[in-house]
Amino acid sequence: MSSQARGRRAFKFILPALLCMLFVHIIPIFWGAYIAFIDLDIYTITRWMQAPFVGLRNFFTVFSPATDVGVRYLRSIWNVVYFGLITIPAGYFIGLLVALLLNRKFFGRTLVRGLILLPYITPDSVAYNVWRFIFQARIGIVNKYLLALGLIEEPIIWLVGDRAIYAVMIASVWKGWPFACLVLLAGLQSIPQELYEAAKIDGASSFGLFRFVTFPMLRPVSATLLLLSAIWNFHAFNQFYILLGADPGKTHVPSTFILQEAFTNFHFGQGAAMSVFLTVVVLLMTVAILRVRRRGEEW
Amino acid sequence: MRKSWVLVVVFLWAVLTSVTALGKGTITFWLMPNAPDETHIPWLEEKAKEFEAQTGYKVNFEVIGWGEAWQKISVALASQTGPDVFQVGTTWNPQFAATGGLERLDLAEFGGAEAFMKANYISTTYKGESYGVPWFAETRCLFYNKDMFAKAGVQPPATYDELKVVGKKIVETFGEGSAIAIAGTNAWDLLHNWAIVLWAYGGDLLTPDNEQAAFNGEAGVTAMKWYASLILDGLAAKACAEYNQPQADAAFINGNVAMCFMGPWNIAGIEQENPDLPYDVVEPPAGPVKRASFSGGSNLVILKGSPNKEAAKEWIKFLLSKENLVDYTKNLSHMLPAKIEAFEDPYYNTGVWQVFKKTLGYATAYPPLAVWGDIENAVVREFRNILTAVASGHYSEDTVRLYLDKAAEKVNEALARER
Repeated sequence: MSSQARGRRAFKFILPALLCMLFVHIIPIFWGAYIAFIDLDIYTITRWMQAPFVGLRNFFTVFSPATDVGVRYLRSIWNVVYFGLITIPAGYFIGLLVALLLNRKFFGRTLVRGLILLPYITPDSVAYNVWRFIFQARIGIVNKYLLALGLIEEPIIWLVGDRAIYAVMIASVWKGWPFACLVLLAGLQSIPQELYEAAKIDGASSFGLFRFVTFPMLRPVSATLLLLSAIWNFHAFNQFYILLGADPGKTHVPSTFILQEAFTNFHFGQGAAMSVFLTVVVLLMTVAILRVRRRGEEW
Repeated sequence: MRKSWVLVVVFLWAVLTSVTALGKGTITFWLMPNAPDETHIPWLEEKAKEFEAQTGYKVNFEVIGWGEAWQKISVALASQTGPDVFQVGTTWNPQFAATGGLERLDLAEFGGAEAFMKANYISTTYKGESYGVPWFAETRCLFYNKDMFAKAGVQPPATYDELKVVGKKIVETFGEGSAIAIAGTNAWDLLHNWAIVLWAYGGDLLTPDNEQAAFNGEAGVTAMKWYASLILDGLAAKACAEYNQPQADAAFINGNVAMCFMGPWNIAGIEQENPDLPYDVVEPPAGPVKRASFSGGSNLVILKGSPNKEAAKEWIKFLLSKENLVDYTKNLSHMLPAKIEAFEDPYYNTGVWQVFKKTLGYATAYPPLAVWGDIENAVVREFRNILTAVASGHYSEDTVRLYLDKAAEKVNEALARER
């Protein structure tokens, strides 16, 4: 069989998958981007083919601090950035500590390694619903313990107002650190034993071993992990939606806000504009991740 | 070879017949879980059979949760496919009508506008035309715990001022937060709770021409302060600030709290959760200006792109026949019929139903606007901020006015988009 015939045959095999990709991914993505440039709202939704083209107006609206939607979108972006700045390092730090512990030999290590994955493999809906109960003002155990320890005098409202984002952070870190741990543990195990031996011969202390061998060797895997977490962070949705409800008010993140604006309030054009921006940000991060990976191979 | 041809022919025949079965003569009906599935589904199956025997039209029904209904209906409106006839909440009807995806209806075909409760009729309109037929109605009244009232030595309040006095006595007997359970920031229907107080104090959400926000006037500020004072004065628990409606209801149904604004659907909940609860229902208290209540419920609408509009109309008429409507509201949904003739049934002159019926008589619907969703969201958002301020101890004399003014600004922004 000539290589051309082989190619044609291969193409036939992947054609169904390609078609699926085309209809499920590619067309909707471009269609979604196109919507960002038309005035698609409650008045035009049933005649969407005739919705007027408005250029960049939707983008100006959603980024304008003078409009209600703009103020709220900008706040939602700040929220997700702030959320990531706390949860990603926290998850990384806990994950690293536990990974270092699990990298030692001890009885029952395999079992413990399996157990720590529990938060990660629990479905989001289940885990965050449980956290919602934990943070309830009247019946939640957080307040119960805080009251018992005498740290607070009356129940604190966690899931509403300024504290809400911290409650979501705690739940998210709990849910997310095992993944960091797993990745870092894999990274730790790929570090050649000889490096440690050589360093020991050179008289390195155990902190020195970490500082000069373990940590640098973990750099590529850490960079990938942190960037991946940052990407996931940008479309954080489940934890906010489940813990705080469909309308988290001041604690909106872009995903929950877009859902509400586009699909509940019928501002599809503006919703699409917000999504396009989000996509661009995530794309840039993905480029960064690919660069880091390539550099990682050189390290 | 011949055998496979036979198979192909049989297959094509099967496809064609099933397509014709789905085409003319069959309608798809979407509705919400208005009653528990165990009773709801058999009832619908039976009625669909009866309808088919009468008219020859087949009805495929699909029960859709309230949570996903908005989304699914949006898709149906945009694509003009899916259901032929479906249920919508009263506050949704004008917004869906504005999309242009609903069939305009002549209510004369269904007994005329006067045949329905007025507020429910208004909820079907958009720019003066009807885009739906009222199905059932609901309104909220004041439920109270008779035992707790007797022990505190008080009578059900007739005015909102009296409610505060009664509440304080109950708190003296049963402790802080025991007087009333109210919905807080997590309630999607938060606005309904305040609107009735606002109206009773002589305020309104919008100006009569629906051009400007009006709720931030003197009446609005007083009404909102009244609502906040329930928590500030200890009549309602601080935790109420984050309640959703079912949590508030549960506090009353469990017998922990003496009063709660609830609807007829809660009666089934009481019978199930705490049948011994000694409760009764009175009309919402009066404000300085009048007594007011919120009118909600559901309407039946037809998709503009439906190929079976005649059958869809017949199905609506069938569901609204006095017998079916009374049966459905009385035995299944525990709501009130939206058609006036159904109230002739003696059932509505008994016990708590009398109270609901009377209250529904003066209940008010929200203005039928395309941008209503934005308006309600804007008000509720600032309402939440007020409750959050109350819960976190940041509440001051100016809080209410500050947030209501903010809400009014956003509402006016939304009203400017109404076409």
